[in-house]
Amino acid sequence: MENMKTLLALFEDIDPAADAVEKLQEMGITNDQINVVSGIPVTEPMLGRPHQWTNVPRLALGGAFAGLLIGVALAVGTPLLYPIHVGGQPLIPVPPSIVVIFEMTMLGMLVSTFLGVFLDSQFPSYKPKEYIPEISDGKIAVLFSCSQEKEKSIVSALRILGAKSVEPGEAQQL
Amino acid sequence: MPEMVDTTIKTPDEFSEHLMFDPLPRGKMNDMVMESMQITSWKFWVVAGFLGMVVLVCLFGAWGYLINEGLGVAGVNRPAYWGIFLVNTVFWIGISHAGTFVSALLRVFKAEFRRPFTRAAELMTTFGLVQAGLSIFMHMGRVWLFYFLAPYPNERGLWPNFHSPLSWDFLAITTYLLASTMYLFLPLIPDHAMARDRSKGWRKTLYRTLALGFRGTEGEWTHLRTAMNIFAFAILPVMFSVHTIVSWDFAAAMRPGWSSTIFGPYFVIGALQSGIAAVGMVLVVVRATMKNMKYFIRLEVFDSLGKLMLIISMSWAYFFFNDYLVQWYNGDKFTDILLHFHESGPLGWMWFMMLIFNIVIPWALLWNKKIRRNPAILFTIGLLINVAMYFERYVIVPISLTINRMPFTWRLYKPGIEVWLSLGTFAFFVLLYMLASRIVPLVPVWEVQEGQMAHSLRKVGKATVPAVSELE
Repeated sequence: MENMKTLLALFEDIDPAADAVEKLQEMGITNDQINVVSGIPVTEPMLGRPHQWTNVPRLALGGAFAGLLIGVALAVGTPLLYPIHVGGQPLIPVPPSIVVIFEMTMLGMLVSTFLGVFLDSQFPSYKPKEYIPEISDGKIAVLFSCSQEKEKSIVSALRILGAKSVEPGEAQQL
Repeated sequence: MPEMVDTTIKTPDEFSEHLMFDPLPRGKMNDMVMESMQITSWKFWVVAGFLGMVVLVCLFGAWGYLINEGLGVAGVNRPAYWGIFLVNTVFWIGISHAGTFVSALLRVFKAEFRRPFTRAAELMTTFGLVQAGLSIFMHMGRVWLFYFLAPYPNERGLWPNFHSPLSWDFLAITTYLLASTMYLFLPLIPDHAMARDRSKGWRKTLYRTLALGFRGTEGEWTHLRTAMNIFAFAILPVMFSVHTIVSWDFAAAMRPGWSSTIFGPYFVIGALQSGIAAVGMVLVVVRATMKNMKYFIRLEVFDSLGKLMLIISMSWAYFFFNDYLVQWYNGDKFTDILLHFHESGPLGWMWFMMLIFNIVIPWALLWNKKIRRNPAILFTIGLLINVAMYFERYVIVPISLTINRMPFTWRLYKPGIEVWLSLGTFAFFVLLYMLASRIVPLVPVWEVQEGQMAHSLRKVGKATVPAVSELE
């Protein structure tokens, strides 16, 4: 893989970027070797890209379950640790326990959803990465790896499709 | 039917007043938002300095005095143990509801007019909750013992009573504060990256840190979008639960005027009443004082918010009357005395002002499109609604506490140092918002651009009509 090279093609709009992705696939670049970087969320079907996997919903469910257990521990466990009968209620009354369990379940779910974004996106990460600031100005970058033999033909094909520039993707400090 | 969509149709004048049909290049919009944060006039610093002084004296100075002297310098005493401290707590939690409601509910329903101002509304949630928390801590008196509220292992094996509404309050407000702060932060990540790309010096360091290394890869967007959808759905029941639980602090007590099964939704709608009105007020000020904001916050936003204020005012009137009628009908002697005390007691004017500002004025004015689209009038109506909602909480807390089932204890509450502390919380809220407006991009530019991409015009017969595509 020593002769592989990372290139960054910059497009003004989604349509030429989608055409470029299709062209790259036709020229033998696999989906694993392509990444699209954009300043707005561009969905996979728009670009003809495979569905992106995310663990965020599963982490949210796991967090909700953990929160539920904490809620049960607070509402049911603590009265057992130090029994005090309050207001003529049973030691473990159901309706008030539901409130505590609900709040802790929601807190667990939301915190784990938040942390899920950090885990899945590997945030924070301040090491140098392939990026150019024009992306946050609305341009769309197609980042891909190809062999040096194919570089010339790919660059020329992407320019025909409307690439504003096709440059070596250099990692830079964000 | 995609073949009916014609993107080549020239935008007619009637549509170009809408932000979604008046797009600018993304780079230009980025520059406008950055400029609005970075250009600060001397007037801003004069106002900020004045507010800082008010916060220093009225909030921290008066609070220090309260801590030093004890709660005796406050007006709370038998039978009104809960005074303005609790009025402020309920009021600020109410204000905090609007940010989440506007942002999450409108996101769930894909209401497009939300796009330019969700951030401005979400900021209100966080800063409103800060004031609510401070008000509770003030009321504690011995604030350094606040950790008694938290469940922590201790050598005596004591735990808070989690079956008490006051403990629910602690859990619910903590959950809501954390959730709303995370919900504010997630969609900010791409805007921090945008700001990082066009900043220098300390701002570059700040935004670089807050952007967390975000570039906008497909994976990053997928994780972010999924999380924001989960938040939008899940934070709504949390929002409803918070003010419902606040209402249970009152409704769970067997007191005249408080023991009501409808207090939960009545409090929630009251929170929305004051919160949405406050969003309108904040947007009017942001639009008038910050550079370039007239492009993003247009009259269509005030028109939509005005309609929302009118609907919520009607809902508030419905819940108020429902609560009033059932209490009036039950024939309880002390409840009857209390209801008459509300209307004809020494603070009866407050009760009537509450009804006039909350019902009569919105209903008389907000049906009119020209009024809804006039920022100055909308600001005034929003201000009156918030005054009314403050009166409503005052009627519910100290005035209602005056009348109980032990007539020998009846005594009208007269606030002491709480008045200064209240001024301090109001000044602190505005100050925090002003300072945040220098650092936080108040407009989510990527959401605006996404919305502009989704909007197009199409021909139906001879008419040109707006169409919105589902991009997600």
